[in-house]
Amino acid sequence: MVNMTVNNTIAHQRLILSGDRERFKELLRRRLIECGWRDQVRVLCRDAVKENESSNVTFDGLVSKVTPRARALVPDTVKKELLQKIKTHLLTQKEP
Amino acid sequence: MNDNGCIHLNNFKAAKGTNPYKIVHAFFVSCTSFEARRYKATSCLCFTCGQPGPRMHSCLHCIYFACYGGHIQEHSKSKKHFLYVDLSYGNIFCGQCQDYIYDRELTEIAMAHKLKQAKSLGISMPFMPWLPNSNEAMALRRLRKRRLISVHTTIGLRGLQNLGSTCFMNCIVQTLIHTPLLRDYFLGEKHKCKAQGSSKCLVCEVSKLFQEFYSGAKTPLTLHRLLHLIWTHARHLAGYEQQDAHEFFIATLDVLHRHCMNGVEGNVEKPENGRCNCIIDQIFTGGLQSDVVCTSCSGVSTTIDPFWDISLDVAGPGSLQACLERFTRAEHLGSAAKIKCSNCRAYRESTKQLTLETLPIVASFHLKRFEHSSQIDRKISAFVSFPAELDMTPFMSSHRRAVDVGVDNNNAPEGLFEDNRYSLFAVVNHLGSLDAGHYTAYVRQMKGNWFKCDDHMITRASLREVLDSEGYLLFYHKTVLEYDCEVS
Ligand SMILES: [Zn+2]
Ligand SMILES: [Zn+2]
Ligand SMILES: [Zn+2]
Ligand SMILES: [Zn+2]
Ligand SMILES: [Zn+2]
Ligand SMILES: [Zn+2]
Repeated sequence: MVNMTVNNTIAHQRLILSGDRERFKELLRRRLIECGWRDQVRVLCRDAVKENESSNVTFDGLVSKVTPRARALVPDTVKKELLQKIKTHLLTQKEP
Repeated sequence: MNDNGCIHLNNFKAAKGTNPYKIVHAFFVSCTSFEARRYKATSCLCFTCGQPGPRMHSCLHCIYFACYGGHIQEHSKSKKHFLYVDLSYGNIFCGQCQDYIYDRELTEIAMAHKLKQAKSLGISMPFMPWLPNSNEAMALRRLRKRRLISVHTTIGLRGLQNLGSTCFMNCIVQTLIHTPLLRDYFLGEKHKCKAQGSSKCLVCEVSKLFQEFYSGAKTPLTLHRLLHLIWTHARHLAGYEQQDAHEFFIATLDVLHRHCMNGVEGNVEKPENGRCNCIIDQIFTGGLQSDVVCTSCSGVSTTIDPFWDISLDVAGPGSLQACLERFTRAEHLGSAAKIKCSNCRAYRESTKQLTLETLPIVASFHLKRFEHSSQIDRKISAFVSFPAELDMTPFMSSHRRAVDVGVDNNNAPEGLFEDNRYSLFAVVNHLGSLDAGHYTAYVRQMKGNWFKCDDHMITRASLREVLDSEGYLLFYHKTVLEYDCEVS
């Protein structure tokens, strides 16, 4: 169990170091824009702000309200593509 | 959105300037160098609990890293360090205002770092939504008339009169008008003509045509002037008899390209490393690679030629992909077609392979349905299927090379953003026989709506109907466009 966490941290650090974490993040961002997810989330946020027009809307308030629905809206194809690509990438990495 | 920060951030900036933010951002948010990535990889853990999250922040006062699960708040309260930066997005939280705050100057720093990071990682410029500049904002305030474009709009659709047998021209014009990037160029009034007011520039004429199509009027247009201009500049097409739509398409691109280049376009479009940079070439030009391999010494001679479209044989294969597969297959040239090998210094048998070195934004395919030989002229009416979505990766030079040496490059991080997907947006059909035929076109309007253009008549069509038709010219648009990374 402990070992697992250490390995995860190392994998995480290696991804940052090589810049690949940013590359995967950018790929994810592009896919989410492409499939319309970002526009959907924008509408969710707008609705949440409208609902609370009287009170002051904070970032945290918005995040807690929108996150569950936004997560559920991420298409399976996007999740699958990213998972597949990250997996293949990590498996083909040579030990430094 | 208020981008003047808050009183607390303004006081902080007055005392310490923007440097603390710059450092945190360049090292731990958008790493602008390898050194920065090393710092970020090794030190971005919560100082209190040792975890990499949730939502890591850094104190702007003393660069203390802590998670948003309570530890950054604890640090902020106990030290009275009220400003902290979110390390994923670079936004600043003010503990006194109890929310994220936005400051124009710091946002600009963040943007510059983001671009620098993208460049250092070989990623093209991240997408940024359009924001009006001060001129545009003023124009928007001044011009109060708004038109809401719904998904089911028919704006941009207009029939074209047949001026004898000019359906070949009508369907090419319909295709050009419905080419997304060309439409954006012309409706954005990007053609700045030096020969302004002159009626000799075809680019200006097409520009006017776009205005006519999008004016909202529904009556069919007559293209006398356009036809005349093309006749003047492409003499071989003159005359009212039926012409080949493919030939007309290439001639039109050529005249448009020449008029863009003719000094009419100013210095914006000057050729760059020998390749023309006019809007026509930016959209339609790709590079075709030809590799000739000597069978004796295996020496390869490679040439790359620009192309505006790809002509494909239709006898045999039943689909566009099969046609392309055959087009890019290595072909043995045989003993009757020996080529001089510079290595062997002798005429040798060789194999030749064509692949696509670079892809254009609009990929145009010409299915060779008309066969002209000394004995007979005939039309091949065989059905060739074509997809609505097409991935061009298998026909690329880089892909063929990778397949040859047995590695698949698609999962390497450098290949991560390679995206060669295309969507069908126009089809030109030829109906009837060789000498008594008629041209019509299907065009896509917004995503998913198809219309049949038969001279002055425009009718709604289904994608099924389009895909079942006997295609002659097929037009595909790149699905995802890259942004140029231009740091000013
Ligand atoms: Zn602090
Ligand atoms: Zn913590
Ligand atoms: Zn504040
Ligand atoms: Zn002009
Ligand atoms: Zn050109
Ligand atoms: Zn040789």
